[in-house]
Amino acid sequence: MQATIEVRSLHKRYGSTVAVDDLSFTVSPGQVTGFVGPNGAGKSTTMRMILGLDAPDRGTALVGGRPYRALRHPLHQVGALLDAAAVHPGRRARDHLLWLAHSHGMPARRVDEVIEQVGLAPAARRRAGGFSLGMRQRLGIAGALLGDPPVLMFDEPVNGLDPEGIRWIRGLLRALAAEGRAVLVSSHLMSELEDTADHLVVIGRGRVVADTSVPELLAAASEDRVVLRTSKRSEAITVLANAGGTVAATGPNTLTVSGLPAERIVALLSEHRLPFSEVSPHRASLEEAYMELTRDAIEFGAGS
Amino acid sequence: MSGFWWLLRAEWTKLRSVRRWTLGLLAAVPLTLALSLLTGGGSGTDLNDHPEELGPIGPAGVPVTDNRNFVHQPMAGDGRITARVLTLTGEEGFSHEWAKTGIMLRESTEPGSRYAAMMVTPGHGVRLQADYTTDLAGSDSTGPRWLRLTRTGDTVTGYESADGVSWNRVGAVDLGDLPPTVEVGLFAASPGRLAVETSVGSSSTGSIPVRIIGTLDNVRVDSTQPQPTAQWQEDDTSKGFVQGPVGENGAANFTEADGVFTVAGSGDIGPYVPDDDVTQLSLIGVNLGLVAMVAIGVLFITSEYRRGMIRTTFAASPRRGRVLVAKATVLGVATFVVGLVASLLAFFVTQPILRSNGFGPPAYPVPSLADGPVLRAVVGAALFLTLVAVLSLGVGAILRRSGGAITAVVAAFIPLLILVGGLPLTAAQWVMRTTPAAGLSVLQTIDVDHDATAEPWSMAPPLAGLGVLAAYTAAALAVAVWLVRRRDA
Repeated sequence: MQATIEVRSLHKRYGSTVAVDDLSFTVSPGQVTGFVGPNGAGKSTTMRMILGLDAPDRGTALVGGRPYRALRHPLHQVGALLDAAAVHPGRRARDHLLWLAHSHGMPARRVDEVIEQVGLAPAARRRAGGFSLGMRQRLGIAGALLGDPPVLMFDEPVNGLDPEGIRWIRGLLRALAAEGRAVLVSSHLMSELEDTADHLVVIGRGRVVADTSVPELLAAASEDRVVLRTSKRSEAITVLANAGGTVAATGPNTLTVSGLPAERIVALLSEHRLPFSEVSPHRASLEEAYMELTRDAIEFGAGS
Repeated sequence: MSGFWWLLRAEWTKLRSVRRWTLGLLAAVPLTLALSLLTGGGSGTDLNDHPEELGPIGPAGVPVTDNRNFVHQPMAGDGRITARVLTLTGEEGFSHEWAKTGIMLRESTEPGSRYAAMMVTPGHGVRLQADYTTDLAGSDSTGPRWLRLTRTGDTVTGYESADGVSWNRVGAVDLGDLPPTVEVGLFAASPGRLAVETSVGSSSTGSIPVRIIGTLDNVRVDSTQPQPTAQWQEDDTSKGFVQGPVGENGAANFTEADGVFTVAGSGDIGPYVPDDDVTQLSLIGVNLGLVAMVAIGVLFITSEYRRGMIRTTFAASPRRGRVLVAKATVLGVATFVVGLVASLLAFFVTQPILRSNGFGPPAYPVPSLADGPVLRAVVGAALFLTLVAVLSLGVGAILRRSGGAITAVVAAFIPLLILVGGLPLTAAQWVMRTTPAAGLSVLQTIDVDHDATAEPWSMAPPLAGLGVLAAYTAAALAVAVWLVRRRDA
């Protein structure tokens, strides 16, 4: 089986609300694909449709080239963490994994292995009702890993984890991708995925607003912008605006200029004898790029 | 197939791994027992102190019913009695289907003594009956019909004929040690008419005695030995009946004119049927035990919906119909085992209490699991609890909410059972025959007239009643399977 997820033109409405609107993207093996968008953008709905839980109104979602519902032993093909709270509070962690294992004829030994792998061994015989959100995340991740699947999906796995847990899960995601698996991780915070994802699918209002690699996205967001530090801020704004630049004041002594290359800015400032202490290309953070993208998506959505 | 076996293991792991569910399931045992004990402890009878109410003791050593009018004379040695039944008429236009008139051969006139009889009935044709429990069918004729009983030693053979010339053998019975001289003659008996009294909000049923009047001719007694006397004597044990004149000048239930005999009688000849079903009484606790079954059945599925775990389940097993069937199977087996423990315990613990409260022999034979109907009731009580649990699972899957589903299923049983006593009889019968509560009929061990009883749990035949509940369960599961397949999880 190929380790891929292919989503083609998915549509899903709930009543009058369009949750997912013509969504298409591909998750490739060997890398971590971040699935990013604000809350309510349609990430969880899309994941439920990939897992055959919700039926799309139109479009297809294929896992390894086949619809999920056609998979005979799905836990060996796709592992998923949808909702860490989806555990009966009266059931011991190990029993929760045990019924999952039994549903695929897996031995109890496999349960103990994944419990060890996610670091839940000391709590394995405790009832899940007493677990912190972080422990439940680990339990859910253990469930996803149980069938040793080539495709993995995690919906907001970082939620509720402490810094040590966040570091652990980043390492885990990287390691899973390095083993050649396709890994799809959703988050509503770009920063959570900044150092983890190789590829990003950004969605807003049920539509893909960017499907790109992380460096490309950063380059696109940083394009053409220069940060300028000067003590004569208002004069500099006048000069640069007259020359055709778009200038924004971003601090008491700083300006961000777009539409003018750095060399031209330096020339203009020198010509008008305006002092400046720094001219540098702007390096957008992934978060900024994301805010930009999703804001556009929301405006687009509101205007249509 | 291994896939389904895995599913069963998965669902069994789920069921056993929530401690509260295990406790809830096991709670069916004390709940059932508690209500059975409460009912058993609060029930009593002094019927055994009033043997005259009970009826005579029959040849098998148990009480029997022996109410009839018997017009007889002795017959010495082997011989036969022949008569033609002309008409069979109920009083006031009512003929009970089991009213009977015909010829009879008895050990003696002592109530409860051994007998064989050939008879014509309005609803069941010609019959050969003997010793209160034997009943052999002859032709469908309702008269006129020739009947004959022939004694050869201890064996009595019954014949019938359309013309008195060619005879058909109906059957033969062995009456054990018959004395040299027996009593032979004509008899008539009729069960009473059902009376339903409806007062405000409640109804009771009873039986009004009715006479059947038979006319017979061509009465002949032939014996191989000289006859002691040819005088007809009346032995009338008709029950609860005001004796009145039959025919023109008679003051009794018997007249003879020009070879036509008129014999009237009421009551019945047959097994003694206790008014109370001791087995049913001891199993009545399932009415409370079912609450635990409803809770378990509903929670087994709704708890998954409540926490979103159903998505984990359906992601692991995308064939959702099979998941539900696996759940129903695991739940069914677990609840049947617990239900059987509850039922057996209620039966064995409550029986001695009932006995000490008067429900003992001879009026109430001690029920034994070796008796077919008793075993059916005890196993049926467990099956009833099983079906209630699986029905609850189906309703839980349909409604997806614990509170709503538990309320819906419990409401189908408890309030109805409380209200049903206050309903008019036809409404009560409707409830106990068409709602899931019909399943409680399986607790009966005594064959009663289901139309003629005010006892809610006896208004439908036992297995048919359980079948109604099974049909509801199957329908709920089918709807649930259909819904979970097409709904988003």
